[in-house]
Amino acid sequence: MSDVALSGAYLGWFVLALPLLGAIVLALIPGEPSRALTRVIGVGSVAAAFVLVVSLFAQQLSNDAERRAGTSTLWTWVDLGSLQVDLKILVDPLSVLMMLVITGVGSLIILYSTEYMSHDRDYRRFFVEMDFFIFAMLVLVLAANFLFLIVGWALVGLASYLLIGYYHDRPSAVAAAKKAFVINVLGDIGLVLAAFLLVRQLGTLDFAEVFAKAPQGLGDGTFIAEMVALLLFVGAAAKSAQIPLHTWLPDAMEGPTPVSALIHAATMVTAGVYLIVRCNVLYELAPHMSDAVAVVGAVTLFVAATIATVQDDIKRVLAWSTVSQIGYMVMAAGLGLYSSGMFHFLTHAFFKAALFLAAGIVIHALHDEQSLDRMGGLKNHLKVAYFATAAGCLAIAGIPPFSGFFSKDEILAGAIEAGTLGKVLAGVGLVGAGLTAFYMFRLLFRAFHGPEPDGGYHETPHASGSAMAAPVVILAALATVGGFIQIPFVSHNLRDWLEPAITADPGIEAGHGQETLIIVLSLAVAAIGIAAAWWLFGSGPERRLARAQKLPRLRAFLLDQWRFDEVYEAAVVQPGRDLGDAGVRAGERGVGQGPVIAAEAVTGAGARILSRVENGLVRTYAMAVIAGAAIVGAILILAR
Amino acid sequence: MEGIPLACYLGVSGGLFLLGLFGVLTRRNPLLLLLAVELMLNSANVALVGFSRYWNVVDGQVFALVVMVVAAAEVVIGLGLVVAVFRQRLALDVDALSSLKG
Repeated sequence: MSDVALSGAYLGWFVLALPLLGAIVLALIPGEPSRALTRVIGVGSVAAAFVLVVSLFAQQLSNDAERRAGTSTLWTWVDLGSLQVDLKILVDPLSVLMMLVITGVGSLIILYSTEYMSHDRDYRRFFVEMDFFIFAMLVLVLAANFLFLIVGWALVGLASYLLIGYYHDRPSAVAAAKKAFVINVLGDIGLVLAAFLLVRQLGTLDFAEVFAKAPQGLGDGTFIAEMVALLLFVGAAAKSAQIPLHTWLPDAMEGPTPVSALIHAATMVTAGVYLIVRCNVLYELAPHMSDAVAVVGAVTLFVAATIATVQDDIKRVLAWSTVSQIGYMVMAAGLGLYSSGMFHFLTHAFFKAALFLAAGIVIHALHDEQSLDRMGGLKNHLKVAYFATAAGCLAIAGIPPFSGFFSKDEILAGAIEAGTLGKVLAGVGLVGAGLTAFYMFRLLFRAFHGPEPDGGYHETPHASGSAMAAPVVILAALATVGGFIQIPFVSHNLRDWLEPAITADPGIEAGHGQETLIIVLSLAVAAIGIAAAWWLFGSGPERRLARAQKLPRLRAFLLDQWRFDEVYEAAVVQPGRDLGDAGVRAGERGVGQGPVIAAEAVTGAGARILSRVENGLVRTYAMAVIAGAAIVGAILILAR
Repeated sequence: MEGIPLACYLGVSGGLFLLGLFGVLTRRNPLLLLLAVELMLNSANVALVGFSRYWNVVDGQVFALVVMVVAAAEVVIGLGLVVAVFRQRLALDVDALSSLKG
C-alpha cells in the first residue's frame, strides 16, 4: 500500500477538516447566530464533506482494484525511536464506504434536525456537537494506525456523551450519558491494551505494517493472537452495544431523536463492526476468538430481539432492534463474512435511520409523546412517516425487494457454509429474523393502525415540514432499493469493492441450494412474525392485553430487559458504591484527613504552649533574659 | 595602684547590679522600677570606671559618661510616662498598665 496508489488520498484531510471547521466556526461566532446561519454552517460543512467523499469514491471507481487504497501522511506524530506513529490517514474502499454513510446519512439527519430541533433554545449547541461528532467519526474510520484510531474512538465517545446528555436539565438524560460514557471507556481500555500488545509484539501500530507482520509476529492461533483479538473485541463490544456491554444503548435514547438516528443507529454503534472488519487479518489469526465473537453476536441478536417485542417506548423498540441488528453484523464478522457484515451495516444505516427519523416525526407531531400506548391510527395523519416506517419495517424484516432482505440473507446463507457453529448460529439468526419481523410490525401496527388512543389526540397530529420529510423520504427510498448492489446469484459488487481492504476474507460463498433454502426459510419466519403481529396488534388493544395477562412473568422478565441492569447494579455498581462508602467512613478520616488533622493538632498544641510564654508581663521577659544570661555566663565560666 | 583593688570595684558593681535586678523583678511601681534600672546602669558605670583605673586607659570613663547621658535620657522618658499616667489618675502599677499588650 504505497502512497502513490490513490492520488486523491490527501482529500481525506479536507473531509476531516470540514466538519471540524464547521463545529469550531459555529461555536465561536460571538453572540447568538441567526438560525439560518446555524443551519447553513451545520448542514453545509457535512454536506461539503460528503461531496468530497463522493469525489474520492469516483476516483476509486475509476481506478482498478490495486489502486483503490492510498494513505496520506501529514507528519510524524510520535517518534520513540523504536516506535514511530504518523499522523496518517488511510483511504481505502472500507473507509470510503464508512465515510459515504457517515457524511451522506449524516448530512440528511442534520438537515432533518434543522426542523426537528426548531423549538430548542440551544439550537447552536446541537449543531456544534453534531458536526463535532461527524468529525470524530471520520477520524475513527480514516485513521491509518491504532493510535489515531483510538483518538477517534475516544472522540466519538465524547460526542456521544455530549449528545445523549443534550437535555442536561433532565436527570435521566445525564444518568444515561454517564452510563454510556463509563461503558465506552471500558471498551477504550480494551482497545488501548490491544495496542500495547501490538507494540510489544510487532513494534508498530500502523495498520498496513501490523497486518503484514501479524502472521509471523503473533502467530496463527497463539495465545497472544487470541488476546489481541479479545481485547479488540472488548472495545468493539462496548462501542457496538454487544452483550454484556450493551446496556447503555437503550438508555442512550434519552438524546434527541436525530442523535439516536445518527449516532446510536447508523454510524457510531457500528464502529465495533468496522473495527473487526478492519482487523480481519488479526481475527483470522484468532479462530477461537472469532467463534466467540460470532457467538456473542448471535446471543445479542436473539436477546435484544426478544426484549424489543415488549417495549412500549417507540424509541426503545428501535434501540433494541439496533442492538439486535448489530448482533447480525458482529456475528457475520465473527464467522469471517466481513463483506456481508459491511453490507448489512450499509442497509441497516438506511433503514434504521429512516425508521428513527420517521419515529421522530411521530414524536414531534405528538409533542414528545413516545409511548406506543398513546399512539394508534396515525397513518391517517402522518402519511410520510407511515410509508417510511412501512418501508423500514419491510426492509428490516427481510421482505424482498427491500434492502434488508439481501443483506440479512447473505449473512445467514454464508453462516450455513461456515461449519457446525455457523449452522447453529444461522438457526439463531433465523429465529431472530422472525422476532424482528414481529416486533417491527408490532410497532407499525400499534403506532399507525388500529383505533386512536382513548380520548383521541389532544390536538390533531401535524404533519412535518419539508426539511424533515425530505431526508425521511430519501432514506426510505434507499432502504427500499439499497440492497440491489449485491444480489444473490447475480452480483457481489460490494464484496469485490471491499476486496483490497479485506485481505483475509475466506471467500465463503453459499451454494445455490443453501441460498435458496435460506431465502425460503427466512421469508417463512418473516411471514409468521408479521402474521403474528397482525393477529395481536392489527386491531384494537383488547386482544394483546388479554394475551399479555397470560404470560406475566415472561413479560416482566422481558420488560426488565433480561435484568442485565439489575445484575450489574447488584454485582458491580452497588459493591462499588459500598466500597466507596466504607472508604469514606473508614479511610477518609484516618488516611485522607489524618495527616491534616495531625498537623493541625501539633501546630495548635505548639501554639498554645508558646502563647503562654508571651504573657505581656515585662518582668517575665526580663526574668527570661536574665536567666538566659545567667545560663550563658555559667557555661562560659564552667567551660573555661 | 594606690589603695582600692579592682575586686572592690567589681564587688560594689555586682552588688549594685543585683540590687537593681531585684528591684526590677519585684517592684510594680514605675518610679521604683526606674530607680532600680538606674541602679543597674550605675553598677555598670562603677565596673567601667574600675576597669578604666585598672588598665590606666580613659576609654572606660568615656563610656561611663555616655552611659550617664543615656540614663538621663531614659529617666526623662520614664518620668514623662509616669507623669502622663499620673495625670490620667490611673494606678501606678506596671502590671495593670497592660492595655497595649498584643
